[in-house]
Amino acid sequence: MIEVKNLVKRYGNHLAVDDLSFTVERGQILGFLGPNGAGKSTTMNMITGYIAATSGSVTIDGNDVFEDPIEAKKMIGYLPEIPPLYLDMSVVEYLEFIAEIKAVKKKERTKMIQDIMKMTKVDDVSERLIKHLSKGYKQRVGLAGAIVGYPEVLILDEPTVGLDPKQIIEIRDLIKSLSKNHTIILSSHILSEVSAVCDKVMIINKGKLIVSDSPENLSKHMEGANNVHLIVKGTKDKVMKALNKIDGIVKVDFQGTSEEDLIELKIQSKEAIDIREELFYAMAEAGCPIYGLERKVMSLEDIFLELTENSTITERKKKSFFGQMKKEKQEEKQEERQQEKQEEKQEQKQEEQAQETQNQVMQVKEEHEKENLEFEDREFESDKEEEEC
Amino acid sequence: MLAIFKKELRSYFTSMIGYLFIGFFLAIVGVYFMAYNLQGGYANFEYVLNSMVFVFVILVPILTMRLLAEEKKQKTDQLLFTSPLSVSKIVVGKYLAVFAVFVSAMVITMFYPFILSKYGTVSFKLAYTGILGFVLVGAAYLAIGLFLSALFESQAIAAVVTFVVLLITFIMQGIVGLLPTSNKAAWLIFSVIALLIAVVIYFMINNVTVAISLGVVLEAACAIIYFAKPSLYDGLVVKVFDWFSVVDRFDNFMNGILDLSGIVYYISITVIFIFLTIQSLNKRRWR
Repeated sequence: MIEVKNLVKRYGNHLAVDDLSFTVERGQILGFLGPNGAGKSTTMNMITGYIAATSGSVTIDGNDVFEDPIEAKKMIGYLPEIPPLYLDMSVVEYLEFIAEIKAVKKKERTKMIQDIMKMTKVDDVSERLIKHLSKGYKQRVGLAGAIVGYPEVLILDEPTVGLDPKQIIEIRDLIKSLSKNHTIILSSHILSEVSAVCDKVMIINKGKLIVSDSPENLSKHMEGANNVHLIVKGTKDKVMKALNKIDGIVKVDFQGTSEEDLIELKIQSKEAIDIREELFYAMAEAGCPIYGLERKVMSLEDIFLELTENSTITERKKKSFFGQMKKEKQEEKQEERQQEKQEEKQEQKQEEQAQETQNQVMQVKEEHEKENLEFEDREFESDKEEEEC
Repeated sequence: MLAIFKKELRSYFTSMIGYLFIGFFLAIVGVYFMAYNLQGGYANFEYVLNSMVFVFVILVPILTMRLLAEEKKQKTDQLLFTSPLSVSKIVVGKYLAVFAVFVSAMVITMFYPFILSKYGTVSFKLAYTGILGFVLVGAAYLAIGLFLSALFESQAIAAVVTFVVLLITFIMQGIVGLLPTSNKAAWLIFSVIALLIAVVIYFMINNVTVAISLGVVLEAACAIIYFAKPSLYDGLVVKVFDWFSVVDRFDNFMNGILDLSGIVYYISITVIFIFLTIQSLNKRRWR
């Protein structure tokens, strides 16, 4: 139904969308995820033919948006990030205007508009001027405008922004029911929404596709990365030493302690290995009583953060992303461990080494934080650039 | 196109602008009608129009400023440009709407010659040639205003720039009289213009080689003409600048001459600026 091939958008030196390709089947709901400035809105603007692509093509049911725009646009209903409302029109006038420019037949117009107003629950404000409506109503009027003419493809840029929780659920249900007859692409910041509504999720960052899968598969995929949250009493090097004896640990993160003497750790282990039991014995042996131990399954939020952060930090390609990240971390750990085994023989140096490992961990953590900051900066910049464009 | 036309027309009359324009326009017509025809006792309605060409400078920016600038500001252009309407249909629909507002005011002025004819002999041919000329000048100015509205996102800036541009075309007649007529001065002026064109081209397409080579070619052409056939420069500056003097050709209509070249001139100005509007909107989206 919708086919996007090698889509690129360049603003000067800034790549807003970098070689994006995907297809959406008829009746599917595709969810677009990504941080601010990831290129979601730019991509949607290109699919709807509002702006031209630097290169690449978009076809809607065989009609190229750039070469045969009129035919392609007939099949699209678009709700942009800011609903395009004429503030000095009443809701009915506005929808009638849209019906007219979308060339809806005169006989069908009145009934269609009544139906759509009921669907989007704006019929009680139908005679009011749009400028007097609240944000939530405006958003729903925008959505109603996109549905007018029942186009086959609906493209919704953050359709639930500004709505209250009850309205969000209603709109979600509406989107779900629309998907019976329409193909839908929607973008959102709210991840639970995407996982609740969409058949397929695409996470993009800095204009690049990072991963594209169904929400269930995505969670499964990431479940491999087991996270254990641990609170123990003891010193950092004592705990580090104990942890080094356990196989399958990929990453250790020290977090701030809320109580004195207690250390909080986030431990990531290899796929399909449950290290909780081992942890218990190791800590007991080291004489560090456990105050809390909890296994965390990754939610879509975690996946999102993980993927978008890491892709900015490492600039790695999406293909090798999952594997490579873990492999490298493992290798690092193994090297450390080998070194340690040798040095266990030289007992005098042991303490120094523990200190060093701890430093390393701290360093890794610091770097991580620094990069996070950088990521935020860059995000801010790209936001600005988008505004300028 | 009809939908856009209707929507624009309605928005002129749901906001104050449409009434303001017609009211202000008719008030000024009334003042001059009073002065020339009623108190002065002239039977020529075209004198009224001749004296009030200046109102375009004030009223056209008010009418055209919001046409496209407003859409951009409110982001409603996203609705229009993603709808199954071509850009040219949108632009032409908008132009026709603003033209219709102007014409609706002009239709009322068409009754004045009839009022006059009650009190004496009026040459209707003269009066209506004048009105036709006035409508044509208005059509050209509205197209210029529409184009400038497409370039800016703020209504205020669009209005001010339109005002300045119209003012320049208005006083062009006076400026032309001050221009030097010697061939050397003509060469200088045209080489400066050639340079400006090259600079503008550079900013439009961001290509140094093309801009420089174009500039060199134009400068060379200017120099060759000066040395090979300097007589070509005779009065050329005046001619070229006269071309921008939109009001100039209105004088013929005032004198009762149905000037074909004038009609063609105004229609081509209108068409060129509507075309430029469409191109600038397309270009913005292709950037």
